[in-house]
Amino acid sequence: MTAAGLHRPAPGSPPGSGPALPAATLRLRAAAGWRLTRLYLVSRRVPMALALLAGLGVLLWAALRWRWNVAGGAAARQFIPLTIETGAAALIAVTTYGPFGEPERAAGRWLPVLRLGAAVALTAIAFGLLSAGAAAAHIADGGAAAGVLPGGTFALLRNLAGMTGLGLLSAVALGGAFGWVGPMAYLVVTEAALAHGSVTPWVWPTRPPFDRGAAVCAGLVIAAGLVLITVRGPREPGGDPGPA
Amino acid sequence: MTAATSAPARPRAPRAAGVVPLSAWRLLRVELRRNAMPWILPLIAALFWFDSYRPSIQTEPLYVIRTFWNLGQGGTIIDFGPFVAAVAAWMGSRDGRRRLADLVTATPRPRWTAQLATWAATAIWAVAAYLVFVGVMFAMYAHQGVGGAPPWWWVAVGVTGVIAFSAAGFAVGVFWPSRFAAPVAAFGSALILLMSSRTGFTHTSGWAMILPTNSNGNFQNDSGISYPWLPDLPIARIMFLAGIAAAVLGVTGLPARAGGPGLRRAAAVIAVAGLALAGTATGLASSARLTAHGMAIPGLHDAASDAPIAYTPVCGHAAGVPVCLNPAYGRWLPAITGALAPELAEVAGLPGAPARATQVATGYTGGPVAPPGPPVATGAAGPPQALTLTGQPAVLRLSLGMLNMPGPCGFCDGPVNGTQFAGQVRLMFAHAFVGAGSAPGSPAQRAVQAALLRGAGIPFAAQPLVMGHTDNFPGAPRSKSATGPIYAAARRFAALPATARHAWLAAHLAALRAGQLTLKDLP
Repeated sequence: MTAAGLHRPAPGSPPGSGPALPAATLRLRAAAGWRLTRLYLVSRRVPMALALLAGLGVLLWAALRWRWNVAGGAAARQFIPLTIETGAAALIAVTTYGPFGEPERAAGRWLPVLRLGAAVALTAIAFGLLSAGAAAAHIADGGAAAGVLPGGTFALLRNLAGMTGLGLLSAVALGGAFGWVGPMAYLVVTEAALAHGSVTPWVWPTRPPFDRGAAVCAGLVIAAGLVLITVRGPREPGGDPGPA
Repeated sequence: MTAATSAPARPRAPRAAGVVPLSAWRLLRVELRRNAMPWILPLIAALFWFDSYRPSIQTEPLYVIRTFWNLGQGGTIIDFGPFVAAVAAWMGSRDGRRRLADLVTATPRPRWTAQLATWAATAIWAVAAYLVFVGVMFAMYAHQGVGGAPPWWWVAVGVTGVIAFSAAGFAVGVFWPSRFAAPVAAFGSALILLMSSRTGFTHTSGWAMILPTNSNGNFQNDSGISYPWLPDLPIARIMFLAGIAAAVLGVTGLPARAGGPGLRRAAAVIAVAGLALAGTATGLASSARLTAHGMAIPGLHDAASDAPIAYTPVCGHAAGVPVCLNPAYGRWLPAITGALAPELAEVAGLPGAPARATQVATGYTGGPVAPPGPPVATGAAGPPQALTLTGQPAVLRLSLGMLNMPGPCGFCDGPVNGTQFAGQVRLMFAHAFVGAGSAPGSPAQRAVQAALLRGAGIPFAAQPLVMGHTDNFPGAPRSKSATGPIYAAARRFAALPATARHAWLAAHLAALRAGQLTLKDLP
């Protein structure tokens, strides 16, 4: 095998300084990019994650439709939607686990972009699916107040984003397979805070939907999670072949 | 034909006694060393401190109240369950994730027994951690002088709950060796516990009594103080949770790769037996009925559990009247005697004035989510009162379990201060002394009650507030101002010299208690 067939610019040459690429090459690059993306998503078990997220959307619809509320007032009504949002965040965090380890990191220069893109896209899809579930419940309930998601769509976005950020941070600290730890621990903390009336903005689900402090805290956490998962990637424990 | 096949079969060496247990023990030791559970325990410890211990120390130092949230409402199980289930799922899915299932199946030891060793190691870590955390919490309570007896039966329920969650999570991992097994097990466990709370909070009887986060009828005063914790419901829950654990572990032994036919039959028997045990426990819980000492299940009840706890009372004096309390309440003796002293001095020498005051056990009451503290009204007779006068000579009976004692209060808007507590005790004493019982009382009784309170240092203007703050006080006024004919009569009566009031009460107390007097009869 020789390098004769490779049309790669010389090292150090400025981008765009070479001759215009033919359309066939662009098509090949697009196909390769698509294949790379597809392989990345499959290796992260994103299709399964999407199916599970859809299941959580249906669960939220059922919970709101049939009013699976814990007795105890407005705070207690948040418990079950929050648990479902936590489940979504945990699933997104677990998709960050990569089975290839060092070889992938050494050869995949697009890996950070793929990690960022997958995390953002999955969070957006999760938000869409959960919002759809909540909206369907509201419509099915004839617009009755009882079928409304506590805090509304903005609170859903804030809570989901913040907890996904915690999941990504967990993945960076503990490994992708253990990305679920952060959101689940935060759920327990949130439930305790809701039960005992604590209202620090760092426990953002306890604050009103349009509370600025809570939104800032959740925003900081998702931003930190996205930056770290993009730059560093999930921690990879040595010697463990890891999950499928 | 080769030499290998033509060679005579070597007789199998007899298995040395003790080899199997020894190898099983070695396998368990290896699994204990290679288990993921220890890595998650620091996080569980932090959550346990935040969610189970920290809120509890903001309540009265009595075991029944300190443990209401963390053991009664299952806070400790909520802290452990999702994480234990997730790690167990992670361990259960290990062979599948690593593509070792075929390799492990080919080993001499049946796969199911090897899996059980993995599960046992996971459960041992989790149970040991649960016992250590609860033990440390109880040690802290003991160091803080918390009164009463710890609810050991409910600790056993928590242990069995941890075992059940580990078994359920392990089964998820065995059947679904995926990276998502752990988060799905954690999420499923959290959702199950929430649904258990949702159902449990609103069900005070029936099958829902089996749910591990249902505190109805379990944690009221004076369990562990005046009478033992009834073991009936905990036993039913232990049976239920153990049955679930056995059923799901049995199911993991059913697939063909799990082992030979004999082993799979044994797994099936265990699964069916587990289901039967869980079903039986649910049936038993359905038959639970609320007694004065908690939930009793006829099929499990032992009459010995009804015997009161013997104790040597701690005693003091209030205006010369002996006041004796259960030692669990001993720390509040000065507050009680201080609260009672002014009124006891005011009524001293009157016929019907208490010769002594003694604490009596507070019985259980019904109603949804009944935390420790004042009971709810259960009938037309009005709510039971914390202070009553009975007998001849009269004895003041103090049912302190109905009161929020001075100090931290987890079920109030804030800590109960001494003045607030003294006001409530004085109000209830005056209410009992005029004979109003569980009713608001006649106008004359209420006027004398107001005058007695005034004499004990509670101004008329402050009395509506004290009544409003006293839970289940039957005569709580609608107006916050001390006006109207009752207060006019009370002011008139209170304006009399103490000797004149005393003389009038000595002459008219019996008629007043019988409700035969009107406001016009007051001097």
